[in-house]
Amino acid sequence: ACARPLVSVYSDKGAASGNTITLPAVFKAPIRPDIVNFVHTNISKNHRQPYAVNRFAGEQTSAESWGTGRAVARIPRGVVVPIARDKQRSVNMCRGGRMYAPTKTWRRWHRRCNINQRRFAVCSALAASALPALVMSKGKCHKIDQTPEIPLVVEDKVQQFKKTKEAVVLLKKLKAWDDIKKVMKSRRIRAGKGKLRNRRHTMKRGPCVIYDQDEGITKAFRNIPGITLISVDRLNLLKIAPGGHVGRFLIWTESALKRLDAIYGTWKKPSSEKTGYNLPMPKMTCTDLSKILQSSEVKSALRAPKGIARSSQKKNPLKNIRAMLKLNPAAASAKRSAILTQQRRIKEKAEKRAK
Amino acid sequence: MVTSKKLPRVPESLLKKRKEYQAQKAKQAQAAILSKKKNREKRKLIFKRAEQYVKEYRMKERDGIRLARQARTHNNYYVPDEPTLAFVIRIRGINQVSPKVRKVLQLLRLRQIHNGVFIKLNKATLQMLRIAEPYIAWGYPNLKTVRELVYKRGHGRVNKSRIPITDNNIIENTLGKHGIICVEDLIHEIFTVGPHFRAAAAFLWPFKLSSPRGGFLKVTNHYVEGGDCGNREDKINNLVRQMN
Repeated sequence: ACARPLVSVYSDKGAASGNTITLPAVFKAPIRPDIVNFVHTNISKNHRQPYAVNRFAGEQTSAESWGTGRAVARIPRGVVVPIARDKQRSVNMCRGGRMYAPTKTWRRWHRRCNINQRRFAVCSALAASALPALVMSKGKCHKIDQTPEIPLVVEDKVQQFKKTKEAVVLLKKLKAWDDIKKVMKSRRIRAGKGKLRNRRHTMKRGPCVIYDQDEGITKAFRNIPGITLISVDRLNLLKIAPGGHVGRFLIWTESALKRLDAIYGTWKKPSSEKTGYNLPMPKMTCTDLSKILQSSEVKSALRAPKGIARSSQKKNPLKNIRAMLKLNPAAASAKRSAILTQQRRIKEKAEKRAK
Repeated sequence: MVTSKKLPRVPESLLKKRKEYQAQKAKQAQAAILSKKKNREKRKLIFKRAEQYVKEYRMKERDGIRLARQARTHNNYYVPDEPTLAFVIRIRGINQVSPKVRKVLQLLRLRQIHNGVFIKLNKATLQMLRIAEPYIAWGYPNLKTVRELVYKRGHGRVNKSRIPITDNNIIENTLGKHGIICVEDLIHEIFTVGPHFRAAAAFLWPFKLSSPRGGFLKVTNHYVEGGDCGNREDKINNLVRQMN
């Protein structure tokens, strides 16, 4: 709920085309990485394919236990050929036996998530993509140092690109090619069994291009490594916050960005495309913590800082004169008079003896 | 035409900060001068009191001796006052203590072996000491004992914490309302069992003494039997010298 600046639209030559759009209110939504993470973990389970073990695996034997009284373990053994190996039910420990708790297809693979939470997550992810600090942060580290503006908006002409060559030129002009280069450099062999299962290579995620009308843009951009393409109508949390982490580099087309105010609404008016939906309200209106702590309102209510009392070693006043004087200022004079009287007495005694 | 030079613009917040800082500094300087003056007055007062106490102690001692001599010359006897101050040391440990004794020792704040406290002697406390007799060694401390204990091992109970007495302010903050503002005042109050003895003794955390250099004789026997526990009157001073 703050002032909304103007975003410049860039032409396909990479220069500002002179058009500006007011930043849609979604980009000022509260950023809740916890909600994004929660929703992401749930939603990412929803495109899983079931796996299970054959339900007869390990059970297609007629093995029976020999019972007691034959000086062998009671484990089921083969009937036709009495090898200890042929195992039946209860015997996950035997070779060729059924596994413990065979996996079933009716495991609950999918998770549902509240629709409001899902929308909140998308708003948060979009808002985070408008903060260069988050997009560049270690987790995301998209290379956007040279890009002219975040959020990056391109003219609608881009939606009509047909050739990947054009797409590459555009990205280079927009200085987004560094991100692609980073993606290409990050191509490596996957760790784990996935590499034997037709998922041999992995690489980082690059920019995500969001369009309104697909007039060829998907075909132009899809072969560039790292690029994801989504339509504004179907903003996918899994694409704009991959891994459950906010701050993906998004490239918008002009009409896509213009649609956002209608899809999500502003705080002044509800969304027109989602029934009864309003942008989430932030918990704090001012999130600049240092500004709050140093404000005069807070400062005037605080007491003066107390000096930290650090205990030093206690000095024994009976041995340490300074410690004694600190506690008893008369100690010096008492000591002096004691010395003097002692000297006086010694003298008197000497004189007496001399007599 | 007068051309005025434009001062460089300083943000308002910075100006505000500077002004606040100056005001604070000024206030601090003033407060420092005042406190310095007060401290000097206090030092003078403490000095006078300390000297006065020296006189007082000497007078008390010589008085006792003088009265005794006087009585003897008249073939009479001088019976000095029964002692009102005792120093009590716990000489046995924690285990296997009977409940009554345990409670008495708790009330006397002797929760640990070789802990020592100053106790005012009256009918009530004497009976308590009698109950706890096998666990304590006690007697009548002299001035040197009191002084040395308070100076070397004196810790005050400040805000429920055990704080070493390194400064007269520690004493003044707690006992100032009783007129005790320095160590010498505290010692005087304890030794002469003044009107605020209770507050002064309660301020002092129980003294944590070392094991006696030269050892005990026999902790499980009474002093009169050749052991250590119970009332050993003046000989407590020797014991404290060994334990302090």
